[in-house]
Amino acid sequence: MNKSKTGWGWLGQAISGIVLVALLGLHWVAQHYLAAGGLRTYSEVVAYLENPLALLLELAFLVVVTYHALMGVRAILLDLGPGKRLTRLLDIGLILVGIATTLYGIDLLRAILTS
Amino acid sequence: MSQDSRRDSLSSRWFELRLKPAGMLAFMVHRLSGIGLVFYLFLHLAVLNRLRGGPGNWDGFIALVRSPLFLVLDGILLLGVLLHGLNGLRLTLIGLNLGLRWQKSSFWAILGLSILLTLWGTARLLFH
Repeated sequence: MNKSKTGWGWLGQAISGIVLVALLGLHWVAQHYLAAGGLRTYSEVVAYLENPLALLLELAFLVVVTYHALMGVRAILLDLGPGKRLTRLLDIGLILVGIATTLYGIDLLRAILTS
Repeated sequence: MSQDSRRDSLSSRWFELRLKPAGMLAFMVHRLSGIGLVFYLFLHLAVLNRLRGGPGNWDGFIALVRSPLFLVLDGILLLGVLLHGLNGLRLTLIGLNLGLRWQKSSFWAILGLSILLTLWGTARLLFH
């Protein structure tokens, strides 16, 4: 296995993982403790996202959790021992999925806020 | 001891760690919870697409996920998040060569704590 690659991936997962503990904690408190009844109705979702801090939190969470999830998938698939070509293909695929997921989330936020 | 046999004994010691029940179980728990959380993430994002449809598409759905079945599913999610998050912090410390003495005991502690917190959290969700 490529040592430097695993090392780099490991550090990324460790750092994004620690950041996620904080972001998921905030996401959870904001979505289920600060919301009356533990879940928001549509109008409450809109009001919540109109707070710039909430929007920033959800955006940051989206980006970091997507990165961490896809890098986790990558680590599992690399353990199956794909060749160089397949690894490159996998990386391109994961990058595209990551970009698509992030754009989807951003567009969803935009759609909610401009409704 | 020749160079080769020394390397063999070193590497077998490494892999021995993995084969010990606690280490193997920790590895599997981390992977399985991680895979589960990836599926949940994309399911969650897909479900949020309902917000495009306005209140008519969302508020009824919110009523549905307040049902006991969904609250129990939330409990399973909580268990996955606790196991993966706490074990991830544990793995980070081990990777930094910290607390190696508690490598095994910390996993059992995490397992116990996650189960207890899940039972408590699920009970709170159901009977709040």
